[in-house]
Amino acid sequence: MKPSNLAIMLATLLLPPTGAVVAEEEQNLKSKKPAASHGHRGAKTFHIDNLDGAKITYIQPDLSSQTITPVMGKVTMPVSGVDNYHALVVEKDWGDHKEVIIRYQYMFGRPSKQNPVRLTAAQKSEFEIVPDPLPREHYRYHSQQTWGFLARYQGELLSNHPLTLTTSNGSEQTLYTDEHGRVTFQIPDDFPGLTEGERSKQTAQLTISGEYQQSDTNHSTQLVADYRVNPSHWQSTELGLLVLGIGFLAGGYLGQNLKNRDKKA
Amino acid sequence: MSTLNLSVIRKLVQISAFVFFVYGGLITGYYLEEKLSGALPALSCAYDFQGSDLCTLIPIQHQMDHRLGETIAKGGNLLMGVMPTLITLGTFLVLFVILNKAFCGWLCPLGTFQELLQMIGQKIGLQRQESLSKSLVAKVRPVKWFILVLLVFGFPLLTGMGMLNHDLGDPFCKICPSRILTTLATGSTEQLHVDTANATTITLTLFADFLFGLMLALGLTLRQPFCRICPMLALHAVFRKMGLLRLIKNASPRCDRCGLCAKACPMDIHEIHTDMTSRNVTFEDCTLCGRCVEFCPDKNVLQLKYAFIPLFSADPQYFKKRKKAQTNWEKQNLIAWFGNKESKRRAEPS
Ligand code: SF4
Ligand code: SF4
Ligand code: SF4
Repeated sequence: MKPSNLAIMLATLLLPPTGAVVAEEEQNLKSKKPAASHGHRGAKTFHIDNLDGAKITYIQPDLSSQTITPVMGKVTMPVSGVDNYHALVVEKDWGDHKEVIIRYQYMFGRPSKQNPVRLTAAQKSEFEIVPDPLPREHYRYHSQQTWGFLARYQGELLSNHPLTLTTSNGSEQTLYTDEHGRVTFQIPDDFPGLTEGERSKQTAQLTISGEYQQSDTNHSTQLVADYRVNPSHWQSTELGLLVLGIGFLAGGYLGQNLKNRDKKA
Repeated sequence: MSTLNLSVIRKLVQISAFVFFVYGGLITGYYLEEKLSGALPALSCAYDFQGSDLCTLIPIQHQMDHRLGETIAKGGNLLMGVMPTLITLGTFLVLFVILNKAFCGWLCPLGTFQELLQMIGQKIGLQRQESLSKSLVAKVRPVKWFILVLLVFGFPLLTGMGMLNHDLGDPFCKICPSRILTTLATGSTEQLHVDTANATTITLTLFADFLFGLMLALGLTLRQPFCRICPMLALHAVFRKMGLLRLIKNASPRCDRCGLCAKACPMDIHEIHTDMTSRNVTFEDCTLCGRCVEFCPDKNVLQLKYAFIPLFSADPQYFKKRKKAQTNWEKQNLIAWFGNKESKRRAEPS
């Protein structure tokens, strides 16, 4: 296999997880009836086409890890039983070229009592892009938001290093890390077919990628994550302010009324 | 220092606690794992990403929805379904036993904000609504119980069981003024919105924004308007006998006539004046602010005690000073200042 196969591998890992979350969301989208909110505690499965020779590691919040064997081109992040972020690391070594794809996935379960900083701080591959921070537990990446990422080679932060954000909706942007090895991307608001005022549960994938040459070895790394439509498309701050103002006027009127009532009494 | 009375000390504690709970996450850390307890007995909001802790009501709602509700729907082991809530309540209780309802009167960011509103109203010179009538107080008191039972426990549970739509999984958070206040305090307008996704979100967000505006205006002239319907106050009330800090009354015959304590009480608890039998007078609406003790003119009739140790007791000398300080404080306001300036101007010969 040649390094160009990376694209195939990436494209496949970018496909949405076919876990219970998606099933639940699909059900919620299609059905007007309320659905029982169970199901978000299941395993997460990703399609991966070209896995020959790839090493797949699944790291739990306490940094214990296991090797995962793909089944029919699919990688399943099994239920570990504990909550918080887990990492999936897919590595391929071509000799003079090393590639890695990392995905952090929030899993539900009993409290892991682990700080996600442990997982992000741990070296998962020689060259890696690390969320700084990860979206807080129970939160997600959304379009329009700005998030920070670090570029790290063997634990050392890489300053003035180019990183590229691409999305499955077709956006692309390259920025350089600052002197602390940090870059801040604004996630593009690039979901197609949105109607203002209507909620959209679309999910897309973002990839932050970079290359690093060390001696004769070329390292390429991708951080892969889901992102969602920013709720500002159906949440209006202006209307909120207006309603707040109406509440304020009503409060003033009510306060005055209470005083008058008391005076009469 | 003559100006350093209990109210001033409490204000300093409250403002420090406000800063700590609203911005302290910058020190304690960003992730939930780094928050202090995850079950604070005060409305320190989980939506405030810079906060140092989160209130106990959010895990309870989520556990009703995702744990107990789902367990019931699936016919699973009920004990396992209820276990996370028991752990949350256990954490809450460990903290609550230490300070009892003083989490409200001394530490809650939203409680502090309402007191600041009242001070602003007073300094502008708006006429304060003195104690609310007994009949109105009696009508308002049950509301907090309905909110606790329905919005914190009931609706989330029914949502988890699949009987209500997903947007009712955390209905109290959706109308909670602390969510709007603390996020605005960190410079984010994200939580002040009308959500047009569906009828439920429209109703909840309209109500939340209206309630916040209502609280802002009422808070200028009425003491602690939201606290009176706050479900945290109701949750505190359930466990109040277990707290080590308590309000004690050693009734004297003079009590019957004075009533200054009830007038000083920001929660309009008339019973501290009229109850002549109970010793522990930490009533369900009490926030252990201690104002009633400050304004009680009879020696040791009202006391704040920690277990059996008196921390602060009513004292005639203290009362005199405190009353004078209060009169001076209330005299100084913008409207009075303009009034004085105007009358001086008129008095000056032209
Ligand atoms: S919205 Fe209110 S109830 Fe919910 S976490 Fe924030 S403070 Fe607590
Ligand atoms: S009653 Fe008031 S002080 Fe107590 S938690 Fe509620 S808002 Fe805060
Ligand atoms: S009874 Fe006393 S301590 Fe309790 S809220 Fe009223 S004034 Fe404060």
